[in-house]
Amino acid sequence: MIIDLHMHLDDSEFVGLDVSPRDCVAGMDRAGVDSAVVMTLVDFPGPNPAALNLVAEACAASHERLYGFARLDPGPDGALDLLRSAVTDLGFRGLKLHPVSTRAHPADDATIAIVRLAGELGVPTLFHCGDDAMTAPLVLADTAAACPDATIVLGHMGGYYHVDEAIDVAQRHPNIVLETSAMPYPHKIREAVDRIGAHRVVFGSDGPMARPEVERQKIEFAGLSTDQTALVLGGNAARLLGVSA
Amino acid sequence: MTVDALSLLGTSRFGYRRTAEDTLRDLDTEGIATAVVAPVHPADGDLAAANRELAGVVARSGGRLVGLARVAPWDGGAALAELSRAVGEDDARGVFLHPAEDHFAVNDARLRPIAERAAELGVPVVVAAGFPWQSEATQVAWFARWCPDVPVVMTNGGVLNISGGGQYHVHQALAGTRTCVLTNGMYRDDYLAVIAREFGADRLLFGSFAPRFDARFEHRRAGRIDLTDDERALVMGGNAEALFRIG
Repeated sequence: MIIDLHMHLDDSEFVGLDVSPRDCVAGMDRAGVDSAVVMTLVDFPGPNPAALNLVAEACAASHERLYGFARLDPGPDGALDLLRSAVTDLGFRGLKLHPVSTRAHPADDATIAIVRLAGELGVPTLFHCGDDAMTAPLVLADTAAACPDATIVLGHMGGYYHVDEAIDVAQRHPNIVLETSAMPYPHKIREAVDRIGAHRVVFGSDGPMARPEVERQKIEFAGLSTDQTALVLGGNAARLLGVSA
Repeated sequence: MTVDALSLLGTSRFGYRRTAEDTLRDLDTEGIATAVVAPVHPADGDLAAANRELAGVVARSGGRLVGLARVAPWDGGAALAELSRAVGEDDARGVFLHPAEDHFAVNDARLRPIAERAAELGVPVVVAAGFPWQSEATQVAWFARWCPDVPVVMTNGGVLNISGGGQYHVHQALAGTRTCVLTNGMYRDDYLAVIAREFGADRLLFGSFAPRFDARFEHRRAGRIDLTDDERALVMGGNAEALFRIG
């Protein structure tokens, strides 16, 4: 089973892009992806008041092809209740945090609290992890250290120039998982598998804006064994999402 | 004809290496006719020697490789002389600037004589682009405005950032100058397609920028961009053929 741990959908009125559930599924079909995790491009609360419902409804109608992560702003009062409700009432399978757009430092009290809650609820937290301020792996390492019972996924595994750093912090913090989308170096996926184990590296595409079939090909170019590839392309995501592989 | 519009050759001071054999093997595997190559920053920092060594490799490649001359502004007049020599004697088809590795900002006034010399020689300039504070797209555009007739190619899609904000800088640069963009490393193929659609397919070139980027994967990535057949022919080789006088 192939699972893409990082896709986006949203209302084009707010983001100016065609990222409907249909676009996601079309991208998945092109890439031979069975299921995908979807999240909005905007934070909630934010410009799209229907953001969480949009994802929840898309997932409910998808026949288990789509699973939702709640992209939240951890700062406002009520963020913890929002996450709790998203997971327990709406069926979300994880939390997405993007410190560039929320301007919330990953190690501030509000973020630590919501990541810990995600851990208590048994769902992972996917951070945008690239080359921007407040998203670099060494910054997120403090969050991982403060939330040892939460699973933290480093989306993009450090971007362009923080990839080695992402592997370093994953080696130091066993609750970190690396997600492969957008990061352009196939050989770094192999290096990550060699250093932290295939069970802690997951395939993501950042689609449908990025092409899932290209991102999947990156995994194939990494030179992993059949068993390692199976874990990276789906087995690990199934475990994180609590679905059968 | 498919052309890889940029890869580097040699053993870099910064820990990476690529030989002519590596390059030719990837060309054959991917069905690519020609690669445009520039030297790495060598261990001794002698860019002129690296240019001469590269010229020898290019001469022995049977036309599969086409060379660029690498210079840096810190060499002052010697860089200008080397550029003229490389174009005149080695048939270098352009200039390669790497602001991050050779430690300068591409819009520093010390770069202006290099732009002017490229204009005199009638060759394009390829800039390792997207590095914060050194070669952001808007900085490359500033460089390009010094000599508007000189084509300037930005590697890395013009931006090294996954949050997407830098893509607006690239639009700004493309709108105001005769700059072009290499496809390497750009994860948003829809963004590359928009460049071709809004600015023309002649503003986009397939280039791997190996070995920092994976030559084969970058070729597959570029091949998936949503383009018409005519646009694809330009992006995958036609533009590079025209720009670097190949074939």
